[in-house]
Amino acid sequence: MRRTRTIAALIATLSLALAACDAGSATTSAEAGQPVDGGSLTWGIETEPITFNPHQYAQAKARLLVGNSFEGLLTHDDKGGYVPLLASGYEASPDGRAYTFKLRSGVRFSDGTAFDAAAVKANIDQLRAAGYAPAVAAVQLHSLKDVEIPDPATVVFRLTAPDVLFLDFLSSPQGAIVSPASLKAAKNLKAGGPELAGTGPFILDRYTAGQEVHFKRNPAYWGSRPAYLDEVTYRFLKEPSVRVGALTSGQVQVIEGVPATDQALITGDLTLSKGLNSGSAYSYYLNAAHAPFDDVKVRQAFRDALDVNTVLDAVYRGTATRAWSVVSPTSPFYDKSLENSYGDNPARANQLLDEAGWTQRDADGFRTKDGKRLTVRLVQSAPFVRDRRDILAQTVQAAVRKSAGIDLNVAVVDQGTATKALADGAYEVFDNSRADTDAGAALNLLLRSGGAINRTGVTDPEVDKLLAQGDAGTDRLGAYSNVQQKVVTQQALVLPLYAPADQIAASRSVGGLGFEPTAGVPVSAYGVWLAK
Amino acid sequence: MRAVLRRIGTGLVVLWVAATAAYLALLAAPGSTVDTIVGDGADTPAIRSQIITEWGLDRPAVLQYLDYLWRAAHGDLGRSYLLQRPVSAIVGEQVWPTLKLALSAAVLGILLALVLALTTRRPWVRRVSSTAELVVVSTPPFLIGIVLLSIFSFRFGLFPVSGDHGAAALVLPAVTLALPIAGVLTQVLRDGLDRALDEPFTVTARARGLRESAVLVRHALRHALLPAVTLLGWLFGVLLGGAVIIEQVFGRPGLGQVTLTAVNSKDMPVVLAVVVLSALVYVVLNTVADLAYLLVDPRLRRS
Repeated sequence: MRRTRTIAALIATLSLALAACDAGSATTSAEAGQPVDGGSLTWGIETEPITFNPHQYAQAKARLLVGNSFEGLLTHDDKGGYVPLLASGYEASPDGRAYTFKLRSGVRFSDGTAFDAAAVKANIDQLRAAGYAPAVAAVQLHSLKDVEIPDPATVVFRLTAPDVLFLDFLSSPQGAIVSPASLKAAKNLKAGGPELAGTGPFILDRYTAGQEVHFKRNPAYWGSRPAYLDEVTYRFLKEPSVRVGALTSGQVQVIEGVPATDQALITGDLTLSKGLNSGSAYSYYLNAAHAPFDDVKVRQAFRDALDVNTVLDAVYRGTATRAWSVVSPTSPFYDKSLENSYGDNPARANQLLDEAGWTQRDADGFRTKDGKRLTVRLVQSAPFVRDRRDILAQTVQAAVRKSAGIDLNVAVVDQGTATKALADGAYEVFDNSRADTDAGAALNLLLRSGGAINRTGVTDPEVDKLLAQGDAGTDRLGAYSNVQQKVVTQQALVLPLYAPADQIAASRSVGGLGFEPTAGVPVSAYGVWLAK
Repeated sequence: MRAVLRRIGTGLVVLWVAATAAYLALLAAPGSTVDTIVGDGADTPAIRSQIITEWGLDRPAVLQYLDYLWRAAHGDLGRSYLLQRPVSAIVGEQVWPTLKLALSAAVLGILLALVLALTTRRPWVRRVSSTAELVVVSTPPFLIGIVLLSIFSFRFGLFPVSGDHGAAALVLPAVTLALPIAGVLTQVLRDGLDRALDEPFTVTARARGLRESAVLVRHALRHALLPAVTLLGWLFGVLLGGAVIIEQVFGRPGLGQVTLTAVNSKDMPVVLAVVVLSALVYVVLNTVADLAYLLVDPRLRRS
């Protein structure tokens, strides 16, 4: 892999040189102007989804495809709130244990089935069916008691406890409403594809595994207008330099995923835009279950030893956005007061380590205590490494060694080995970012005692209480703000590094591109047009 | 007849051994199947138990293995853990694109090798060609692919970058895959030709007044072909391995991509199917190679 990467860098240089030859002949085309109907767009994307069934959705990189053909009862606005989509309105009961939804009338799935309360209930029943979507049933639907349908246009969700995250579920891909007829008829239900019908502005009509997926306009779309484009093809181009090459040579009009090394190539007739993702920032979670990170001083020292900005600049050439909190900076729950409140203080790091008893140095310059080196292990699972996070880890490794004599041991291994290391507690640093639209959902998984991805090994009743308060919807801002202060500034359980982002590069003839409010991923093709 | 039956018998044994070896290797790899299905998502005991029930992973490994063999013998290769579709469908729809790529690369590679070996006999041409061969053999196919793409697709727009859209889209991937094959085969053929030309029968042939080209093509080439035919098995390995990288670079559908994803995510049913399929092709190719010896070398026919 190492070799491949060096070569990729070499290629980038080569393509730069080729692009430079092109610069002279570049012509400026008209801007996309007003929306126009018709046309066929080709969009190069990085990730081929493992499933097209929205209920099974698990890849943030595939989110831009879901909205083309599927919709939920709600969607996000740009302030972290919710607006009705397939619902015409909703209200919560005063105790927060019931949500009553009025459904939009006259909506049909693309297979002709009518959208009504029975369809919504059929979807929830399907999600809770044994073996269908265990993660959704166990996490997002954990507080759902039952679903009532008093009449075809009304759905009542009863909860066991107040849970505002339930609204996030209803606006998530997993909460999308699929035609109940197609749920029954589909031969490969979990894989999805042309067999599953939704209510969205496009219909998925062709999927060629390993190559592309094709959508055609849904002429009977219920919204105020049908989609502009007649059809849109998403091509799976896994190599970044190939994606960029395909765009610069006009073979595709839009690409998604432009790494820092290739951003210089997006010039002239092409535009580049960046959207920060929602959820949790890419962070290191320090395992406080055993030595050395059971000592808060050592955790703080690790944090203070690192100059995050320098490290990010070295790896991402100034294209990364530094994260100060575990919560993404685009979230309404982001606590801005954390900015510049900690870190980059090697002197303090060394002092803290001295106080914690790591006073000796061994022959390699690493700190030791009772003859044991100050080693912390980071295990990365190769299939999930993206954004050059392995290179970032190596840079952090060099930085903390130099500034404080900490030995960060980085191992990039296969998924099985990584899972085993996590299960055995054979790690001190765990890295993760989550793309949940509601940061509260990510915090619950990552920080709550016994949370499904809680790798800090910490059980803190106070954090649990604050998170529960956030779920219940009472002073969410204050509760999550306290959590951020606690785990980042005071306890140094989480070391935030950067805010994950998506990039779109496109020809200037393409209009209506952008990023979904809240989620921060590229938009679906509904509002996109192609200038003639 | 008996010889044919024996061949089929050995073939079946090879298939069984390949499937079993792959099964054991995956079993020995760290982490359980449940781990890989959970991936980096939410992970609770309730989720795990559902996955275990769904795929019958609570049965002893031996039982799962026997069950797999039994169903495979009946043509049911199971469902992919990751893609949730029948393995026969996943592999079935990806075989043709890979086969197309492999066949055109093989034909192109062999033709190129024959032409180069026969035409570059003069010392200086030979030196140039030999250097070029070494360069393409030692360059990773990834790099060859990207360089060809940068020039012929991105710069001059002669060929499409991605997918399986007709003959034009096949050109660059096939050339990328064919170049290293041509490189190795040319070296082997040229070496064989050199040795054949040193043999006494060449002197006899020349003495009969045959033209040098006839000596080369009709006599020396036959001898030179034998070691090249032996490389047929190797060729298959290169084609399959190369397909993984080339399909990724060119965004082509195919078995290489399927295999890579399946191995990375420990998608046992798909990996097993690909291994068995590869073993099958290998057996067939080796049989073809054995028959080709008979065709090339009359001495073997008599014995």
